[in-house]
Amino acid sequence: MQDKEQLLTTTSLIEKGSSSTAKDVAVRLVGVKKKYPLPSKADPSFAGFWALDEITLDIGQGEVAGIIGRNGSGKTTLLNIIAGVLSPTQGEISLKGKVLGLFNLGVGFQDELSGRENIFLNGSILGATRQELEAKFPGIVEFSELGDFINMPLGTYSQGMRLRLAFAIVANLEFDVLVIDEVLAVGDALFQNKCFQRLMDFRRAGKTLILTTQSIELAERLCDKVFLLDHGRLLFSGEPAQAANRYRAILDSETFFVGPAKKAISLVSNTKKWADDLANWGKKLGAKEVMIDAVEMRNRFGMRCHKIKSQESLRIKVKFSARDEVKEPHFGVAIFRDDGVYCYGPNTEFDGREIPGLKKGKGWFELRLKRALLAPGVYRISVAIWDKNEAIAFDYHAGYYELTIKGSKGTNALLNMPFKFAPEGFKCTPDLTLLENKWEQRSEAKVINIDSIKLLNRLGEEKNTFMTNEPVKLSINFSPLNGCNKDPYLWVGIYRDDGIYCQGITTLLGENKDFSIFFPKLPLLPGDYRVSVGIWDNLLKEFLVYEHGIYAFKMLFDRQDHGTIYLEHKWRWNFKI
Amino acid sequence: MLTILNDIFARRTLIWQLVLKNLKLRYYRPALGFFWAVLGPFLFVSILYVVFSLILKVQSEHVPFFLYLMSAVFSWNFFQESLSASTTSLLDNRNLVKEASFPHYLLPISIAFANLLNFLPALAIIIVTSFVLLKGLPLFIIFLPAVLCLHLMITIGLSVMFSVFYVKHRDIKYILDAALMFLFYLTPVFYPLRLARDSFPAFLFRLYSLNPFVGILNLYRVTLLKGFFATIRDYIGPLSLMVMPIGFAVAVILAGFYCYARQRTTINDYLSY
Repeated sequence: MQDKEQLLTTTSLIEKGSSSTAKDVAVRLVGVKKKYPLPSKADPSFAGFWALDEITLDIGQGEVAGIIGRNGSGKTTLLNIIAGVLSPTQGEISLKGKVLGLFNLGVGFQDELSGRENIFLNGSILGATRQELEAKFPGIVEFSELGDFINMPLGTYSQGMRLRLAFAIVANLEFDVLVIDEVLAVGDALFQNKCFQRLMDFRRAGKTLILTTQSIELAERLCDKVFLLDHGRLLFSGEPAQAANRYRAILDSETFFVGPAKKAISLVSNTKKWADDLANWGKKLGAKEVMIDAVEMRNRFGMRCHKIKSQESLRIKVKFSARDEVKEPHFGVAIFRDDGVYCYGPNTEFDGREIPGLKKGKGWFELRLKRALLAPGVYRISVAIWDKNEAIAFDYHAGYYELTIKGSKGTNALLNMPFKFAPEGFKCTPDLTLLENKWEQRSEAKVINIDSIKLLNRLGEEKNTFMTNEPVKLSINFSPLNGCNKDPYLWVGIYRDDGIYCQGITTLLGENKDFSIFFPKLPLLPGDYRVSVGIWDNLLKEFLVYEHGIYAFKMLFDRQDHGTIYLEHKWRWNFKI
Repeated sequence: MLTILNDIFARRTLIWQLVLKNLKLRYYRPALGFFWAVLGPFLFVSILYVVFSLILKVQSEHVPFFLYLMSAVFSWNFFQESLSASTTSLLDNRNLVKEASFPHYLLPISIAFANLLNFLPALAIIIVTSFVLLKGLPLFIIFLPAVLCLHLMITIGLSVMFSVFYVKHRDIKYILDAALMFLFYLTPVFYPLRLARDSFPAFLFRLYSLNPFVGILNLYRVTLLKGFFATIRDYIGPLSLMVMPIGFAVAVILAGFYCYARQRTTINDYLSY
């Protein structure tokens, strides 16, 4: 009954409006106001409020419309009114075609019934007939990835499984307008991407999508049109980028609210130090509007390879093809050690390289690392093409490519940063397993004493905070106690404060009492680090004295980055813009 | 009214799914399952039988008291359970209601249908018992579907009405419980009609017999119990037996859907709390 009335008003309204707008209007709201009734026993001083106040908007057929706004701004109320679940207190709404809604986590689910039974119940609530549901059933089960769980009571499902089922039902039914309320945030990255793919299919099929979201990035990337709500009023409608900017302005004006994705104006004090999700390694994720076709690594001679020597140059070339036009993509490459320690992850966004957009067709981009300052070992490389703010990957090959850095092994250091000794010396490899469980401890001095450890800037001032790529001098003083004649070695270790061994430096100590190591550019990325110092007796194979992970220093950087070490690099690319 | 019928027909898949859900939730887990649909009322009949027949020595005319009880208690049960479940149904199923826009009255209707399905095996037992004990069935049994239909209409009409009211006025549930109790004693479920006639003054009895539930209950007995019509023919006329129930059914159906049509747009606003 309701649908019919709505259809009638729709056709009349749209006939009127068709002369002015070329595109068909799928959803039209005119002066819609909504006030919720108050319970009779409510606080009489509470005057009530307009959940929606004079909303007038048009959403064209085949458009993807986003509704953004803070909590309580009226997004859900608006969606409910569009889906016909709530009626406006005043104003008119007209819809063309069948509207489906996806609110919460399949709110209509019955815990006692099985997934199968819930599909039929839920589907019929959403207006499907029995025949339709029987025909769609295999598709729904397949999309939801529930497998045999489909016959288990819903009470046994996790939140993610419920979401998958709820989305699968809606995504497989017939509709003209689909309304989605913030639900997709619950799913894991893999399923989220699957959902976005499906949404893109709907878009291509000319269906109208309306979604609310807290993610400005998502709204910017997915939507053709964004509506910004605040306190029940429509503040802005139109271009996603402009709506997003206004929304950020609202968020910034609220003092207690820490807005997401604020650009770093101040110094960055820490960067990502671990891979986000090792479980996704070896997987290809993404919405696949742009596909990564091939990734090639090339050594300093330009030869394709999977092994290079430490401190050599490396080029990583990524060939891709865009299946759709995309706006403001950015490219990223990340290098991890194979245990997930984040070495470096530059991307074009951090580097301030703006890419206006990609047209359909093939292209490539290349990251050229001047010197791979990594210790010998096995590394994993992820490559990705993201949307502007890393909200969604167009294509993301996580930990997909293996890179081996050749060289003498022995320690499990991460980095191989260039440095200079004041006195040159021989090298040896102290047995660092002796230092296990000795973190933040120092040994008693028997033969020799470590008097001081200092980090100095270029002016020779002692500091414990440095900028990435600043010249840094590490200076150590000893005083030999009685009878030190066993040609000891000095070992200096640089650690991340989570205990990851970045680099070790050893040299023959000889008769020296002062020692300094000079880093022309200390490339460590923002975060906290420690210095360990030990005197190693290569004959006894033991530390005469050590101080492990006590001396702390901090790195800062004036820009965003990912990982542990900054590697000088350049970007090159070639594609149709 | 036609559009409503049309809607109900169009959403028959949903009604059937809701009926299924209702019955599954009720009988899926209990070990005896659907058997409880008969067992529950049967136990109740047994209690009434012990109290009224064996202790209080109430006599029924013409038919064995146990059968007399069964013919009324089972149908009464259908009515009462439907009505009390329906009244709170919009709130109980608010998660369903908030998922998509569908006519709210499908919920009370589906509950009525579920209870009707629940009632059918019991009805079959009554028919068989009646056939065995009274050595045959009355000719009136051909009207049984019509009586069921009438009863269903009354149930649906009242259910829709109360379910809509309950959304805004939560006292309805308690008032309804009391009213149903009162009505139970006011209809000749466990006493013969003659007893009422003998104890009330004439005009009060006339008033009493105008109660549409007196009519519908007796219609059940007339169609189920052979020779029953003869025993009540003298003191209950066609007015209370036919006109009142039919008139009442039409009236409550119209009233129920009228209430719904008036409240339709605001119901969901009240479902959140």
